[in-house]
Amino acid sequence: MFAALLLAALLAAQFGAVGIQWVDWSSAWSPAGADAPVSAGAHVLWNIRLPRVVFALWIGAALGASGALTQALFRNPLADPSLLGVTGGAACAAALTIVAFAGAQATLPMAWRPWVLPVSAFVGALSVCFALDRLARWVTPGSISGLLLTGVALNAVAVSVIGLCTYLATDEQLRSLSFWTLGSLAGAGWPLVAAIAVLVLGAAWRAQRLARVLNALALGEEVAGHIGVSAQHLRAQAIVLVALLCGFAVAWCGTIAFVGLIAPHLARSVVGPDQRKVLPASLVIGALLLLLADTFARTLVVPAEIPVGIFTALIGGPVLLVMLADLARRRGGVG
Amino acid sequence: MNLAMAERLPPDTLHAEGLAWPLGAPEAQHARQVEGPAPLLGLAAVETRLGAHGFGPFTSSLRAGERVAILGPSGAGKSTLLKLMSGERAARRGELRFDGVPCARWALPALARRRAVLPQSFAVAFGLPVELVVSLGRVARDHDPGQTGIVASALALAQAAHLAGRRFDTLSGGEQARVQLARVFAQVWDEREALVLVDEPLAALDPGLQFELMDALQVFSAERGHALVAVLHDLNQALSGFERLWLMQQGQLIADLPANRHAVGALERLYGIGLRCVDGSDGGFAVITQRCVASNAEVPA
Repeated sequence: MFAALLLAALLAAQFGAVGIQWVDWSSAWSPAGADAPVSAGAHVLWNIRLPRVVFALWIGAALGASGALTQALFRNPLADPSLLGVTGGAACAAALTIVAFAGAQATLPMAWRPWVLPVSAFVGALSVCFALDRLARWVTPGSISGLLLTGVALNAVAVSVIGLCTYLATDEQLRSLSFWTLGSLAGAGWPLVAAIAVLVLGAAWRAQRLARVLNALALGEEVAGHIGVSAQHLRAQAIVLVALLCGFAVAWCGTIAFVGLIAPHLARSVVGPDQRKVLPASLVIGALLLLLADTFARTLVVPAEIPVGIFTALIGGPVLLVMLADLARRRGGVG
Repeated sequence: MNLAMAERLPPDTLHAEGLAWPLGAPEAQHARQVEGPAPLLGLAAVETRLGAHGFGPFTSSLRAGERVAILGPSGAGKSTLLKLMSGERAARRGELRFDGVPCARWALPALARRRAVLPQSFAVAFGLPVELVVSLGRVARDHDPGQTGIVASALALAQAAHLAGRRFDTLSGGEQARVQLARVFAQVWDEREALVLVDEPLAALDPGLQFELMDALQVFSAERGHALVAVLHDLNQALSGFERLWLMQQGQLIADLPANRHAVGALERLYGIGLRCVDGSDGGFAVITQRCVASNAEVPA
């Protein structure tokens, strides 16, 4: 599995708008040192291409893991982190930042400006998740389907706010808003890669400790209670993890659809339904999927690139239909 | 509390104590004296609501090793009482104590190691394999070296050993019931004096399996000193395999009586049917239901 991951990463780094020679790969170890002039290929490889490839892997892993957690939480193989309102909340905050607080942004120092959008989207994703948890506890205490419906309601509000922002936006704002919404991995650099690596590893470690208990949830909330698992505590922890993983991904890359939905499904078909195996497998498969999608996205129409969100949705839609048909055939129904 | 004390109490209290006897048959009156150590499960005026319907107050207690069948017409609140005892439904008033300690003060995993519940219906997501479903009964134990063996033994006891390796969602209703029963066995397999609550455990099974699994449940509980509480519809199962009958009607526990021939009259009035006793070859007896409305008027509204 990890060999496949490494091979895919190397191949993905090889393809791109700028050709990479073998000598570029070895430049990092060449004795010339940092002062020596490096070829364009080596510069692209080490400072643009590789960070992006590694970033795609980590973001894919985050999306895959958050998808697996969401599906375990809702006991439904068709659930997706965007159901919880994470994506909606992030997009809503981003839209507000672009349109409503455009003036406030201009007052910030130049160096901070690129961070404004991701940070506000991250805050938006997190705050929707916590609002969701509080609200669901208050409106429909203890019920996981109630949590789902609360998420749908919050998502509707977020979508309407985005719609309002779109309506009020200037042409330029509209362009940056729609570009953000489509999703891209182009902003990757090594510091960001390090940040998400720490986040994903930490969250994955925590999620793995929850996995045994998440299995209990598959028996239903009541039975989980009977065997000593509090669905309420579990769901609070799972929501925080989903918010962190998916919120980070959405904040920096926009909405990348379907990876969170399809990765756990593929994982289950490979390793079976045991969450202790599904979670790590979703992590790896999510990473591979997004790397694949991103590699296509930036190589198909060289020198331009397609936003990766368009690409995942384009592939994901038909795959989802196949999954639905498969589910219906096996169980005589969906759900 | 003995009978003499009960007579001095106002009628309300009498009812609340579960000692009232509106069905008549004073010779069957069974004043239960709680003595010695704390009962395994104690209910003190526990009440709950479900929509517009109130249930309770229920007051009763049960000792380790006792076998209680909850009987009553549909909608009488049997499952609700069981859900109160299993902690699935929170009490609006009153207090439940497990092993002398209020249930609210028990940690959920600690309680789950000594209280197992077989619900009336179950749906398992993701098509988990049978062994995983059964082993989840032991999820409350952090360190569980004997798990594999216990899961296999529990499956065998529930007549489900042949189902190992299958996906739960591909099993028939009766097979699913057996796997869930195995899960309950596994949950309290190596404990002493636990509480086993089952809600119509055998409804989806054929008669032969019903006999075998009811025997298995009773032997399993007896060997370990577990108290067994079952919601049942089959009167013969209740009369032959249980010591106490809790009769329920319209959300109230109206009687608590020993399961013997004297209970038959009360059962006739409870369901508004006639019952004919037939002696079995083994010294026991069975009842045959008959259409009969003669004593219906005596059933309290």
